[in-house]
Amino acid sequence: MKVQESLFIQKKKPLLKKLLDMLLERYPYASILAEDAKSGNYSVSRKNMSVSEAKRGTSRGFVVKVSDGKHYAEYSFNQIAEQDLDDLCARIAELVESSDKVMPEGLCESEYHVPAEEKAEFCGSTDYEIDPETLGDDAILAHFVKIRDEGLAFSEKILDCQVSASYQRYTKLFWSRDRMMEQSVMWMTGLLCFVAAKGEEFKTYYRTYSNLGGAEVLSQIDADIEECAKAVLELLDSETITPGEYDCICSPEVTGMIVHEAFGHGVEMDMFVKKRALAEQYVGERVASDLVTMHDGATAAREVATYYFDDEGTMAHDTTVIDRGILKSGISDLQSALVLNTEPTGNGRRESFRRKAYTRMTNTFFEGGADTKEEMIASIRYGFLLENPKSGMEDPKNWGIQCMVNIAREIRDGRLTGKIFSPIVLTGYVPDLLKSISMMSENVYLGGSGMCGKGYKEWVKVSDGGPYIKAKIRLG
Amino acid sequence: MIEQIKAVLAQLGIKEYRIMESVQASIECFFVRKKLDLKRRTDLTDYDVVVFCPHEQDGEKKLGSSAVIIHPEMDTEEIRRSLQKAYHAAALVSNEYYELNAGKREEFVRADSQFAGQSLEESTRQIVEALYEADNSEKVFINSAEVFTTRTVRRIVNSRGVDVSYETYLVSGEYVVQCVEPQDVETYHHFSYHDAKLDALRQDVAEALAMTQSRAEAERAPRAGKYTILLSGKNLQEIMQYYCGRSSAGVVYQKYSNYQIGDHVQGDAIQGDALTIYMKAKEPYSDEGIAMKDRLLMENGTLKMFHGGCRYSYYLGIEPTGNYTSISVPVGSRTMEELKASPYLHIVSFSDFQMDIMTGHFGGEIRLAFLYDGEKVTPVTGGSVNGSILAVQANMLFSKERYQNDEYEGPYAVRIEGVDVAGTDQDQ
Repeated sequence: MKVQESLFIQKKKPLLKKLLDMLLERYPYASILAEDAKSGNYSVSRKNMSVSEAKRGTSRGFVVKVSDGKHYAEYSFNQIAEQDLDDLCARIAELVESSDKVMPEGLCESEYHVPAEEKAEFCGSTDYEIDPETLGDDAILAHFVKIRDEGLAFSEKILDCQVSASYQRYTKLFWSRDRMMEQSVMWMTGLLCFVAAKGEEFKTYYRTYSNLGGAEVLSQIDADIEECAKAVLELLDSETITPGEYDCICSPEVTGMIVHEAFGHGVEMDMFVKKRALAEQYVGERVASDLVTMHDGATAAREVATYYFDDEGTMAHDTTVIDRGILKSGISDLQSALVLNTEPTGNGRRESFRRKAYTRMTNTFFEGGADTKEEMIASIRYGFLLENPKSGMEDPKNWGIQCMVNIAREIRDGRLTGKIFSPIVLTGYVPDLLKSISMMSENVYLGGSGMCGKGYKEWVKVSDGGPYIKAKIRLG
Repeated sequence: MIEQIKAVLAQLGIKEYRIMESVQASIECFFVRKKLDLKRRTDLTDYDVVVFCPHEQDGEKKLGSSAVIIHPEMDTEEIRRSLQKAYHAAALVSNEYYELNAGKREEFVRADSQFAGQSLEESTRQIVEALYEADNSEKVFINSAEVFTTRTVRRIVNSRGVDVSYETYLVSGEYVVQCVEPQDVETYHHFSYHDAKLDALRQDVAEALAMTQSRAEAERAPRAGKYTILLSGKNLQEIMQYYCGRSSAGVVYQKYSNYQIGDHVQGDAIQGDALTIYMKAKEPYSDEGIAMKDRLLMENGTLKMFHGGCRYSYYLGIEPTGNYTSISVPVGSRTMEELKASPYLHIVSFSDFQMDIMTGHFGGEIRLAFLYDGEKVTPVTGGSVNGSILAVQANMLFSKERYQNDEYEGPYAVRIEGVDVAGTDQDQ
């Protein structure tokens, strides 16, 4: 089934066209992005149940972007009426002319030419099988209660079993002089999380699920109850790792975190504009082993960050970032492409109509290889299998890595010993890690349960992943 | 629109509810070096509505709730459908019963802020001026910056008579400092102020410029091993979140914390400085319309209270306090000179310093630290820290010198012994 377009946006089109025409009389460039997004959250745990709209993913409003031929300005608002259009245009004009009011002496304004736009008309919707709203809150909660109860019954040492899910359904309309584009998309994610306690220390283990689609993803959760329950109990006996550099096998989730944090952020080309990315100097150079081919793109995979066009009206791409170890390209928003004289790659994304567009990742992953997980483990004399990523932070300037991982399973003489260590901090220099990749499994898995920030704000939905990889990594 | 929402709630027979109206205006400026790259303005009105449904399950009283966003462009029919759906969801949610807070109409509270008497543009200009004042070098400079100046007026009403409203100003932003010699490096910083603390911002920027210069001079990672570390500024602020998080009523109720009021949460035998923490109210009312006030969280290592909103406070049998974002801590017993008298690793910048309130672990990748070996101080970079608050909290020593930002006021630094650092295997 196709995601339905927003009736609100359809109703507002005539008014938005009037506003756009008024702006184009005054400015050489004007565009409007209209957004109508609805999201829902479900959560069930031992002592808590919740069904709500999620504030971050629910939004309805507009952002106007104009250029007077030299300078860009944007205005975000969520109310529009026929009788207010003149006033709205006056506020935008005041904003365009306000630079002197916000800049002290010694500062000036960047100048951008207005690029020629290719004509484009587009309308598309993604597919889903089960609409969470049609399935109903009753059915989803009942399913989650069943999973929770089964999880809690596994062992009296289990403190809690939390089952949760989120979805977002949105329609976006991008309208400029030469482009009118509309898309409707839905994604849904799930989470199974166990908590166990050892004295003052509380351990958690989780598994995530995601799809471009609807509630069909939730059927995957049940199969993992026993494995996750066992894993959290194992964590109660986890030890502290001896810091050092080790041969590691990374699960696809950990591979994904490395791809995203360590390299993906480093090739966001708004960082090239600011001379904040080391990657700019390495385009065309070897940055990884020749086993590594990396993609990013809203059309590179079918996952939570799939869309047809970005928030600046650029069609989505599948960008080959690394090709057999050679850095080929970054990813870019429109404004960065203007400065760098490159083609935008459809990566200009806003957290919502309320926020500025930045260069952001979408679906980011390594292609698979030819090895098996079993062969990879067997190849290690002493090292670890890393699972359950927790968080990461980018360092595009110096290509440092910071990733936090929940579990490192000890491997000795090609076998898992049963000993586990937790928590683990991964650090190091990105090219060293990527060049050390010596084995990759065949199948690629992507996960999209998390959100990506630019620093500590501007949250967008992304997916990342890859195969199992074998690499040398500093752990602590 | 609040009256329109209330009318629909009445038509639907929804007796218990809470509505928060937020009217927000902001100016946003984005700079690359000293050039204004983009300017933005926002004018936004939002309505967050929570509907409550008391019901019974297996003879026990329950209170379900569900939150929904009402957009200002919604007509009555769409509002009705949204609220009806939310109420249906609330009826499915079988959380233990609790009482909502009651209240009355209160006077509008004006923001006690210098920003209140001037335009958003003028406030932005002052902050930008303070930000760039010390940026006078071609060697170490502000690479890019974002400044957001926001005025928000909030009104919170509920079905128990609460009707409170207030104004708040916030200037927030981030900046990246770059140093190009002897290495090309950068450091990231963010700030937020409810008032025009221009001197504090100037001080932060001056320190950031000096820190980034040191970062450029750092060539190697520390050797792997156990260290006495110093954590300071925002990193020490993050450590304090362990105690704030573990004493949250929601965390305690769900048994993710076994804190009890009166517990010696810092341990029974504190050898270092015993902690005292105050929760500070930054806004006059919480999101539930609870009047916020400063409160004592822990005193000399002993827990004095839990904190939280209506629901979890009711379960724990305590007065609801609202949710806090700011703390104040009395200074410690040692000067920085005393804390630095013997070898240490002072980490001034991490990629992302984290304090996990569940496991008690803290750490992150080292972007810049100063290593004192007993003879000299060397800047170092790389490696990571991985410590446990449970192992070290009894022996922490805090500085007499202060540090202050919008969310923290207290000791500048803490000295912690015996922490694992992952670094190089050998001296370079």
